[in-house]
Amino acid sequence: MTTNTMMTTRCRLLAAAVLGLAASSAALAADEVLIGASLPLSGPLAGFGAYQKWGYETAVKDANKAGGITVDGKKRPVRLVVRDDKTDPNVTASNTESLLSRDKVVAMLGSCTPALVNAGALVAERRKVPLVTGCNPLQAFKSVRKWHYAWSIFFDEPDLASAPFRMMADLGLATNKKIAILADNGPDGAVVGGKLWPESAKAGGYEVVQNTAFPVDTQQFTAMVAQAKASGAEIVLVDAIPPQAIAMRKQMAAAGFMPKLLVMEKGAEPEFFAQATGTLADGVLVGGYWDPSFPYPGAAELAKRFETETRQTQSQHIADSHAAAQVLLDAIAAASSLDREKINAAIARTDKTYVVGPVKFDAANASAIPITLMQWQGGKSVVVWPKDRANGKLIFPLRESR
Amino acid sequence: MLSVDVIASSLASGFLLGGILALIALGLSVALGVMRLVNLAHGELLICGAYLSSFLMAATGMDPLAGLLVVGAVMALVALPLQRLLIAPLAGKGMEAPMMTMFGLSIIVQNLLQLAFSADTRTLEAPYTARPVSLGPITVPQVYLIGFVLSVLIVGAVHLLVAHTSFGRALRASSADQEAAAVMGVDVRKVHAWTFALGAACAAMGGVLIGTAFSFTPSTGGSYLLISFAIVVLGGVGHILGTLVAGVAMGLLQSVGAVVFGDGYRDLVGLVLFLLVLALRPEGIARAGKTG
Repeated sequence: MTTNTMMTTRCRLLAAAVLGLAASSAALAADEVLIGASLPLSGPLAGFGAYQKWGYETAVKDANKAGGITVDGKKRPVRLVVRDDKTDPNVTASNTESLLSRDKVVAMLGSCTPALVNAGALVAERRKVPLVTGCNPLQAFKSVRKWHYAWSIFFDEPDLASAPFRMMADLGLATNKKIAILADNGPDGAVVGGKLWPESAKAGGYEVVQNTAFPVDTQQFTAMVAQAKASGAEIVLVDAIPPQAIAMRKQMAAAGFMPKLLVMEKGAEPEFFAQATGTLADGVLVGGYWDPSFPYPGAAELAKRFETETRQTQSQHIADSHAAAQVLLDAIAAASSLDREKINAAIARTDKTYVVGPVKFDAANASAIPITLMQWQGGKSVVVWPKDRANGKLIFPLRESR
Repeated sequence: MLSVDVIASSLASGFLLGGILALIALGLSVALGVMRLVNLAHGELLICGAYLSSFLMAATGMDPLAGLLVVGAVMALVALPLQRLLIAPLAGKGMEAPMMTMFGLSIIVQNLLQLAFSADTRTLEAPYTARPVSLGPITVPQVYLIGFVLSVLIVGAVHLLVAHTSFGRALRASSADQEAAAVMGVDVRKVHAWTFALGAACAAMGGVLIGTAFSFTPSTGGSYLLISFAIVVLGGVGHILGTLVAGVAMGLLQSVGAVVFGDGYRDLVGLVLFLLVLALRPEGIARAGKTG
């Protein structure tokens, strides 16, 4: 055998090995149920993304522990492919495109907040791929288009926006009824701050003395805080992402502005809001929709599991993401097929109570989770309204920071 | 219609914040003036300072402002080998290669910070960060006032260092003409290394002040880089006192923008001004090319 012949033989063997490996991994991929998710694992919304990743992965892990999902009469393992969208809608869109084209996922799970979820959902919709999300307020979701393949399980903004007003009426909280609204100009901030809060205020006989919108990358709020203070507002409603909410809470205190009631939607939700602001977090309210104490199957266990595995305090995002993943996995199992149309039809038929509560989609592909109000008290998030779900007493008025 | 109190408080806050912005921009200005280095990792050096202070606070309980000089010194010591390793080998190869190197470094640092500290938003907590100071109708955050005083002291110290020490003479000589300085016996490599370290220290100390007044994440640095460039151009590249004046002017103008258009338009006003200065007086408020 000449050297050339030996080389050729080796090359052929190598090629055969490579082809064999490729074939076996293709066979493995063919046996798997591939699901994709583009999540904000870095950037300003990374706090949400970490919870979502855990929720999605836990649901998939549980499905695999039970032997996988039966598709075409055969149990198949589920694999979740996650990509980081860096809190950038353009990256969410390109990630979704890659997950569909390169990774060949059969369905998608959504990112978080309207800007990111909608960016991915539009790609999935165009490609006729089902996408289930648990982190996109319903009005912001519905306003984009008539969806056929995207499904949202989350709170409805009118429910969220009216919650502080309903709470004040229910609990008979005494204020001068003057409200300052400070909201970012993102899709949900514009809806809640620009439209729904003013409408609820008017309906409840409150006076909006200031309504200021700001871009989502602002960190300095000196002028608007000074204006809110000068207007004599005793109720302040803020809609901002965590970095802004943290900066704004500090600047309110540094300006000597102490309203009686402070609601900080979005931004006050993650645990690091309370960690970063310390005692300034005490008394800050944020709309919520889930707590381990709620009477839904597996609620307490899910929170306990998260805290054991991560050594962090639970967040409601573990519930919405876990439920979104379970809805999708149940739909794939119900369809017993990897046909996207059949999976999509099965999602539409969902009618079951999950860890986040009952899920049943309306004609606009949305399923609403009822709102509660949560308040930071001593570094813990406590449900303070409505009364039938409250597990703590409301701090009112807001106290001076210690 | 805004009340006089609101307008006066906003302008006073802008003036004080401008001092902090000047300290942040100073490092960038010195590096650009002496080394001709467009340091695109300047924002990350700033945020590193905030994280370092956060780490110091957690480990020793040290107040962020008490640890300001420690943070500056540590960052200077970190910056020295970084300069030797990444920037010195690119000397004489134009501005593009070091600029792209620093761009790469900024991405690496962002990712390392995220790995080490997660992407959670943080802030440096101290009693004075949530207290107001009032003088008649004017109310400003106490931390702005403290930050302004410290920034002016540091900028003044850097000015004295550059204007009245042998290192300063070498730095000014290198800034004016590197080849001539080398011929006259100035160790330009060494001057560049210490200039980079000085810039990193200023950025890190500015980062501590930003961390106490606002919030930060691993990716926050970029927004301060942009405004720093505007201040450097406004003040004149490498001009230390010009940077201080430009920082204060920028803070004030941002506040005018905030009062007239709303807080969200602070940067818009600052950056429009930056473009105007670039078009009408490219050498800045002060004379350019003269470090000190």
